[in-house]
Amino acid sequence: MRTKNRGIWIALFTIPCMILFAIVYAAPIVTVVYTSLCDYSLTSGPVFRGIKNFVTIFNDEDFLYSIRNTLVWVVLQSTFHVLLGLLMALVLRRKPRGWSVVRTAYMIPNIIPTAATGVMFTLLLNPSFGIVQPFLDFLGVDYGMVPNLFGNSRYAFWTVTCTWIFYSGFNTIIFLAEMGAIDKEIYEAATVDGAKPWQLDRYITLPLMKNIFGTCVTLASVAMVSQFDIIYMTTKGGPGHSTLNLPIYLYKAATLENNFGKANAVGVVQIVIGLILVLLIQRLFSEKKETGRVRQ
Amino acid sequence: MRKTSKFSVYLAHICKYVFMIFFVCIAVGPLLWAFLSSFKTYSEINSSALSWPSSFNLENYKAAFKYAPIAKYFLNSVIIVGCSVLVTVALVAMCAYIISRFDFKLKVVIVLLISASLMLPAQAISQPLFAIFQKLGIFDTKIGLIIVYSAMGIPMSFFVMTSYYKTIPMALEESAYIDGASFLQTFLRIILPLAKPGLVTIALLQFINTWNEFYFALMLTSGNSARTVPIALNYYMGTFANNYSALFAAVVLTVLPTIILFIILQRQVMESLTAGAVKG
Repeated sequence: MRTKNRGIWIALFTIPCMILFAIVYAAPIVTVVYTSLCDYSLTSGPVFRGIKNFVTIFNDEDFLYSIRNTLVWVVLQSTFHVLLGLLMALVLRRKPRGWSVVRTAYMIPNIIPTAATGVMFTLLLNPSFGIVQPFLDFLGVDYGMVPNLFGNSRYAFWTVTCTWIFYSGFNTIIFLAEMGAIDKEIYEAATVDGAKPWQLDRYITLPLMKNIFGTCVTLASVAMVSQFDIIYMTTKGGPGHSTLNLPIYLYKAATLENNFGKANAVGVVQIVIGLILVLLIQRLFSEKKETGRVRQ
Repeated sequence: MRKTSKFSVYLAHICKYVFMIFFVCIAVGPLLWAFLSSFKTYSEINSSALSWPSSFNLENYKAAFKYAPIAKYFLNSVIIVGCSVLVTVALVAMCAYIISRFDFKLKVVIVLLISASLMLPAQAISQPLFAIFQKLGIFDTKIGLIIVYSAMGIPMSFFVMTSYYKTIPMALEESAYIDGASFLQTFLRIILPLAKPGLVTIALLQFINTWNEFYFALMLTSGNSARTVPIALNYYMGTFANNYSALFAAVVLTVLPTIILFIILQRQVMESLTAGAVKG
């Protein structure tokens, strides 16, 4: 587009945005990468030491556990969690009675501060006054002592997982929006041709969800690579290393050990894992699309 | 044949409703439980988890207000979130407009930088930010959090806004230029009013994300002067360790405004979140 003083306006309109961007993203990323190669703590400035920090963390059992937990959560979240959202969208798509109430109610856990979710579950599952005991009584199970679900390393991982994996309302509304955009005539034509309701979903709705499914999987994975709030509010990574993930490990290195070099090395690993996952998921979903085209 | 199909239709219906009711219970149950418990006395909470509160007494809320400056945290949140929404919307409205309308050398670089930061884990850059903010003297200040939150909102809002501008036909501006309007006049008088729905979308998106933000607030504040509502909960967990009844009240107080706002604006909120996910 042509206008007077084009260059000046371009500069005036983009530079403020870019300055903010430089302060909050660019400068820290450069610092993270550089200081991950340094001895750097609260008291001593960065001194270049090569890959020492990376050697340290990769020899740390806790760090390896934190990677493992992070990846397990990524896999669970990008499969079960997203599929649950899709299933709910398929149910709500036909607008059964009360569907909008269900949609709103199911969305609420995704809208409240995650820190609050953490506190709520800490209270809810508290062994002395939470619902665990009444629930076990109801089932008629005699445990002797009520299990502390967040405090016992046998249960902690799955308990923490349960605080987010069922809450897929965000994915549901994304799928619903995408389903709403499908041309109604396709369904009508198929119904006229004698397709059953489940066949409509199987052969029309689901294939058209492929792209958005990829988006949801990407978002879910990225969210799990930086999942922090609920874990911090409930178990802080414990007991032991049972709920430790990369963000918590990084936070502990930065604030408890004051070992900034180590924390930033973890940061580099976290960024790299995030990037690999995003590229992997994109490749996975774009390839599927291409084979679909060939078949046509 | 027909009978079995009728039976299976009924079965499908029942399954569908069981499924919906189950997930609504899981979603809302813990909240309702916390809400009811917030009216119970300390001994009532300890004696039975599922009993109804004997009366709707507000003692726990009084305690929550008494032991922690909740009102101050709310004010902090409102100021920080409000300012960051304004800054993000203003900057993105400008930057995305240029990107959607002009071709220039650095355009690809800008788009690439912004899309790369879309997937950046917050924790990875938190320590350097902490160091930079301490050097600039804005650690533990509202300004500091406003800067981070404004920047954090840029990537997603940027893509939502760029695609929104692309729906506005360029012929509008071209005819404005022919009529002798300047660039700034065209942008302020013609484009911005048309882009309002897009601006509302990114404002809401930014509001939700920053109102709930926890990690940077934890890393970049240390006192009451800049603590936001989500981070106040962390503080309560420490101070109310033995006074669970007040903790229930604190949770309800932090959650309630968000839920009320969501229910009032739910259509717009859902549209914003969807746009953010799809375009970002």
